[in-house]
Amino acid sequence: MSKLLEVKNLRVSYHTYAGEVQSVRGVTFDVEEGEAIAIVGESGCGKSVTAKSIMGLIKTPPGEIKAGSEILYRGENILNYDKKQMSHYRGGESAIIFQDALAALNPTMTVGKQIVENLMMHRKTIMVDGKEVKLTKRLAMQEAVKMLKMVGIPNAEQRAKQYPHEYSGGMRQRAMIAIAFACQPKLLIADEPTTALDVTIQAQIMDLIKDLQKQLNTSVILITHDLGVVANVAKRIVVMYSGNIVERGNARDIFYHPKHPYTCALLEAVPRLDLKNKQELASIEGTPPDLLAPPKGCPFSTRCKYCMEICCEQAPAATDFGDGHEAACWLHHPLAPKDDVPFKTEVRHE
Amino acid sequence: MIKYTIRRFFVMLFTLFIIATATFFLLAAVPGDALTARTERLQEKTVINLYKKYGLDKPLMERYLITMKGLAVGDFGESIVFEGQTVQSIIRDKGPISARLGLQTMTLGVGVGLILGIIAAMKKGTWIDYAIVTLSILLISIPHLIFGMLLQKVFGAELRWFPIIGWPKGKDLWFGGWEYTVLPTLTGCFSYIASYARLLKTSMLDVMNQDYILTAESKGLSRWQIIRRHVLRNSFIPVMTNLPMSVAMCITGSFFIESIFAIPGFGKYYVEAVSTRDVSIVMGQTVIIAAIYIVVVFLTDILYTVIDPRIRIRGGKK
Repeated sequence: MSKLLEVKNLRVSYHTYAGEVQSVRGVTFDVEEGEAIAIVGESGCGKSVTAKSIMGLIKTPPGEIKAGSEILYRGENILNYDKKQMSHYRGGESAIIFQDALAALNPTMTVGKQIVENLMMHRKTIMVDGKEVKLTKRLAMQEAVKMLKMVGIPNAEQRAKQYPHEYSGGMRQRAMIAIAFACQPKLLIADEPTTALDVTIQAQIMDLIKDLQKQLNTSVILITHDLGVVANVAKRIVVMYSGNIVERGNARDIFYHPKHPYTCALLEAVPRLDLKNKQELASIEGTPPDLLAPPKGCPFSTRCKYCMEICCEQAPAATDFGDGHEAACWLHHPLAPKDDVPFKTEVRHE
Repeated sequence: MIKYTIRRFFVMLFTLFIIATATFFLLAAVPGDALTARTERLQEKTVINLYKKYGLDKPLMERYLITMKGLAVGDFGESIVFEGQTVQSIIRDKGPISARLGLQTMTLGVGVGLILGIIAAMKKGTWIDYAIVTLSILLISIPHLIFGMLLQKVFGAELRWFPIIGWPKGKDLWFGGWEYTVLPTLTGCFSYIASYARLLKTSMLDVMNQDYILTAESKGLSRWQIIRRHVLRNSFIPVMTNLPMSVAMCITGSFFIESIFAIPGFGKYYVEAVSTRDVSIVMGQTVIIAAIYIVVVFLTDILYTVIDPRIRIRGGKK
């Protein structure tokens, strides 16, 4: 498989009255064609900003993508795209689904028209009965209805003429997915697609995204704070904390052999069904560091149960555990204590 | 929809009734009446006759009943101060003049205001934005009176481009004598420009921060397409709220402009009728202006449902 997207040393800051907030501080990852990865982290860790950067949606000012950052789509840096290339890239090559579908759909435009708008923007022709014909508004509306059917909206013909407020929460997110997949993008960013939905609907929406991803061979970047949502969909997981990647690896390694105290804490905070009732839900004490003045050491040091002196002084480098599994934590240093830590600190494949 | 209109109609009638009643009793509560000033040097008998003529000798409640009965059939009664005039005759003679001035002022003011608002929102943070904002604050702070005189001095007296005072009459009443209307229209329209430019700008900036604008951007739409398809319609909703007020103002609020430019409109009658307690004229004009205002509010409510599908009228089909 070839790499569809490579994010290299992405740094994004927001200029506010209080000063420069360093939302994303050097993030590097890649997505292969047809692959689903997840970016996990708590609120304010920079995951949404990363998503917006990839779609080219960072407003400058107040935002700023720092020099040296690279977002390579098929080897080309999208940060250097001109208007025309950008317009084709957004919607034509990539698409995004937001958390709150009601806010993300225009309240005064029918759902059908919002899909048509995307189609008219990026597709010149369309297949009708095996023939390629020029796309007209009428044909686009038919295609939009087809899209609504595909994402599982009943009575799609009537539904296309309705406005977002006439849809239920789950339906809205389905409509949002229909808009995103309308032009068969190669890359889909799902920014907390299920956070605003109740649990049963969450599962349906995640299944839908997963199905469409397989069907259309789309790469998916799933952004969430809910590890429970991730397990089923993503092959690889990136864990972000205060603008940095603290751990990455395939889903199996992250869930069963976490190598960073933050990942462990996150996993503990997922409610478990296999334990007996009335267990207390674990939480992570404290708050993430203020990104106006990021700490010079490990950003998690102030909340870490295993914090050592070095952690407050110097940021740890990533330790490689093989198979793409990496974690940035001082506990993996040969001189670090080996007892009383949440994971085996020896490098696994030795 | 029909059901809604019928219900609205009765609510409007009731509102008018309340307004008329309140106006009547408020006027009655003010000391002095329309005749006080004129009767000082007259004989007692004449004074009594005068009071009898206008029915001011009757007890308050009886006068109220007579007035309300008159209102019901559209008879507002004769003016006490402007002899031989009725509300109808004043509106027939002076109405078109004020209406033309009002409509011209409002159309130009709201139109230019909205365009400037769009420009300011799109160029937010640039010198163009600051220029528009500064200008609109300046324009809204200068009273009509001063602004009108300034225009008269510069364009009328010094440059001699336009006549200083006057208004087209006769066959030019509606569509002629434009040179006379330029300065009064300009004087009046600046406050509209200022308020609508700022209103639309604020509203557009608010809409531009919504998530669905991000969605539109993520579809690859150009900036102008986003403004046209997604921003404008949504940001017109707060603007609509202000429209009825402006329409009502353009009918009544031109009093200063009419007096600076010696325009024989009915603004003068309205103000004078209140200060001289000319009950029949005040009642008539208040009710008519209130009626216009209420009808405009009703039309705006209908327009809301056209612009914003989330607002649906109860009693309608859906």
